Amino acid sequence: MKTQSSDKNWIHYYFKSTSGVVGAVLVLIMIIISICAAFGWTTHDPLTQNPMDALQPPSSTYWFGTDQFGRDVFSRAMDGMRRSMIVSIVAVGIAGFVGVLLGVLGGYLGKWLDGFVVRLSDVIFAFPAILLALAIVNSLGNSWIDTSLAIAIVYTPIFIRVARGPVLTIKELDYVKSVRVLGFSSPRILISHVLPNVLAPILVQIALSMSWAILTESGLSFLGLGTQPPDASLGLMVSEAQPMAAFAWWTLVAPSVFITLVVVGLNLVGDGLRDSLDPARRQS
Amino acid sequence: MSLNIDNVGKKYEIRSSKASINALNGVSLNLEVGKTLGIVGESGCGKSTLARLIVGLETPTSGNISWSQGPIGNKAAGKWRSHHSNIQLVFQDPYSSLNPRQKIGQCITEVIKTHKLRAAGDIQKRVDELLLEVGIAPDLQHRYPHQLSGGQRQRVSIARALASEPDLLILDEPVSALDVSVRADVMNLLFDLREKFGLTYIFISHDLSMVRHISDVIAVMYLGKVVEYGPWSEVLDNPKHPYTKALIEAMPDHENIGKTKYERALMGEVPDPANMPSGCAFHLRCPIATSNCKVQTPELLKVNEVHTVACTEVEL
Amino acid sequence: MSKPLIEVKNLRIETAEDSRTLVNNISFEVFPGEAVGVVGESGSGKTLTALSILGLLPRGVIARSGEINYSDSNLLASSEEHRRSIRGNQISMIYQDPMTALNPVMKLGKQLSEVLEAHDVLKDEAPERVFNAFKEVGIPEPDRALVSYPHEFSGGMRQRVMIAMALIMSPKLLIADEPTTALDVTIQQQILALVSEQRRKSGMSMLWITHDLGVVANLVDRVIVMYAGQIVEVGTVKDIFTNPQHPYTHGLLASLPKSDVKSRERLMAIPGVPPKPWMVENSCAFSPRCGRATVECFTQTPPLKTNEFTSAACFHEIGKNQ
Repeated sequence: MKTQSSDKNWIHYYFKSTSGVVGAVLVLIMIIISICAAFGWTTHDPLTQNPMDALQPPSSTYWFGTDQFGRDVFSRAMDGMRRSMIVSIVAVGIAGFVGVLLGVLGGYLGKWLDGFVVRLSDVIFAFPAILLALAIVNSLGNSWIDTSLAIAIVYTPIFIRVARGPVLTIKELDYVKSVRVLGFSSPRILISHVLPNVLAPILVQIALSMSWAILTESGLSFLGLGTQPPDASLGLMVSEAQPMAAFAWWTLVAPSVFITLVVVGLNLVGDGLRDSLDPARRQS
Repeated sequence: MSLNIDNVGKKYEIRSSKASINALNGVSLNLEVGKTLGIVGESGCGKSTLARLIVGLETPTSGNISWSQGPIGNKAAGKWRSHHSNIQLVFQDPYSSLNPRQKIGQCITEVIKTHKLRAAGDIQKRVDELLLEVGIAPDLQHRYPHQLSGGQRQRVSIARALASEPDLLILDEPVSALDVSVRADVMNLLFDLREKFGLTYIFISHDLSMVRHISDVIAVMYLGKVVEYGPWSEVLDNPKHPYTKALIEAMPDHENIGKTKYERALMGEVPDPANMPSGCAFHLRCPIATSNCKVQTPELLKVNEVHTVACTEVEL
Repeated sequence: MSKPLIEVKNLRIETAEDSRTLVNNISFEVFPGEAVGVVGESGSGKTLTALSILGLLPRGVIARSGEINYSDSNLLASSEEHRRSIRGNQISMIYQDPMTALNPVMKLGKQLSEVLEAHDVLKDEAPERVFNAFKEVGIPEPDRALVSYPHEFSGGMRQRVMIAMALIMSPKLLIADEPTTALDVTIQQQILALVSEQRRKSGMSMLWITHDLGVVANLVDRVIVMYAGQIVEVGTVKDIFTNPQHPYTHGLLASLPKSDVKSRERLMAIPGVPPKPWMVENSCAFSPRCGRATVECFTQTPPLKTNEFTSAACFHEIGKNQ
């Protein structure tokens, strides 16, 4: 019998879609940039000011020109990307872990736990994301951990929903009922039988949430919360570049391009994952 | 040893409207070990609910069910599990009864490991044995369910149920979702297994011809009650209850071509279980209903020593 | 011999992208006033054949070649407009799942009057015609039904509505794709009674698709047996059931439990599973499972051969049933 797409083949199927590949490449580039920045492998030091070279357009020395303090825009953008990446990874990591845990347990065990989980996510959902993140960061502080935490809290409900929905369906399916009848314990059922079948939408959500997290972090630092000057942050750079945009376009373009590329990349990856993991869209 | 279902009722409450649905209304049945009970009925009769209660997926609202070792529905954790492994269930839909992300060999191994039925070194041998028992080549055990046909998947479900070494196997429409040319093969497998392992079966189906072929005793259900019960030949060749007669009449008959009298079709539909008719649940559709039937809920009366029917208007 | 109402000639249906055969070069006719049953299992191509008559093949599947001749035109080669004028009007179809065939957010009366509208019936005639259509199919309280939604009705009732919708323009041909498979057996009997009655009254032809041999035995005049995209046997209902010539038909009938068997015998099973049509298009589709297969069966598709009983696509027909 001809082998149909199974778990192992979804990667193969993923790479068949051009947009998926483009997305993956973009994200990979941004990750490499972040890693380089983490090790200090930038073209210049992001913090060093060279007042004499202030507001230079892009050149071979300064790939994306300099800002009003003579700092290399490209290096700052790289560093900003690093910050955004870290915040996004940590925030989505926490939100994903807590959200999936609550969603799966609530969905499977039902009763008061499910009621609590749903109420909790309703309450958080009721607030517009940025507003809530603002409020939390305001009360917590400006360090990257506080920002990550704020974003994590705001994005936990979406993971609860994405995990809980499929669990509600799956627990009624015959194969779950069969293993209950076979006397399997609930933890075993959740780990071996429920989770693997819920993984696909969660993976897609991770990619999408990461893109939103980066946007949110940029938004927060644009508004003056989160990363404080002189540290580099993409949102902060955009905010600082605004008054200078007319005559020093490169100060605005670099961080904007970075944000755009990583967000588009993550969205394409999310779409690609959704298509390749959903058996209904595959050919048989 | 036997299965005792004693005046079992199951009520579901609908939270939003405060209405309640009586899925089962005082069902009493006895099944001896090694025999096969066929349950027939249409939608709303409660046969699948009964299956779920017997197997322990849900507990009865009233009455109790007991199997040789004691009552089912005992929440003490240890006993819960061992009861579960004694009574197993095979579902109708071969496409949803196996975990799509688990290789079929693994799914059987898991059962054996969870119940510690074999020493670690003997597990693989047992898995091979079970697969051969149901007619699946052991080298297929590394496949995922979607790589097997419907009939093969159903066999794997049966193997998995057998892995826990049950005494009683409940088969809920086991061949209805399979292609017609494949059904006979799976039915034969069930025959062979029954003989080989002395299994007790409860065979639930809407297909009277299949039920007739495999059952020793038959219970006909309507709206949560047993309306007729007896040996297969008695119930099917000498039916007493008007509903049983209508059911037999309505079965598509491939052996008597062109003889179906459509004018005798049973009229009306199964009433909404949330809105049960008074008295006999069948009286609104019954060709021989009297004014008494609206008021009195019939009990199972004896036609003879082994055959009972729940109808007050029948000649006994 | 009267002229057939609809004639399918050498119909070949494939997947659009990679040309995998789904229906392999089939031909059959339906005569006016006749009921033909198409019997087959999953993958036999019966549903696709029915859908292709009305030009309703799903995305990714096309009728690659052949003709479907109705009323002096080839429906496969006609314009979409022409086909639309025929659908619901001269040729109607009913399906297995009434819930998806009826619009869940539109009142039933409106759904039926839409059909009338689409075929240019005068607006003021509509309410009466819809009311009568509901009465015809045995829906109690038709005036209430006019303003009800599908979910307020049971499966059997919804099926009646679907039949009303299909018959409201008095079509010449009704195509039914397993409309009773999901219904309780007593409700199925009611629906079959209704359809037989309607057929008797209007004299329309019927193409009834099912996997249930019992239903076919008491509903149709002729039977077409399909297997893996091929027609393997055609005959009158009596001949097919008493003297099937094709080993598949014969095996299928033999595998059904009989009511006169006193002892508990094992059933006569056909080994194996139905293959995918594209894997057997150059051989006899049934050969891998057939006990009578010889070399030629694996290398050629047998043509339909007519004998005193039926027409069977087999090199080794069964002959008289002992």
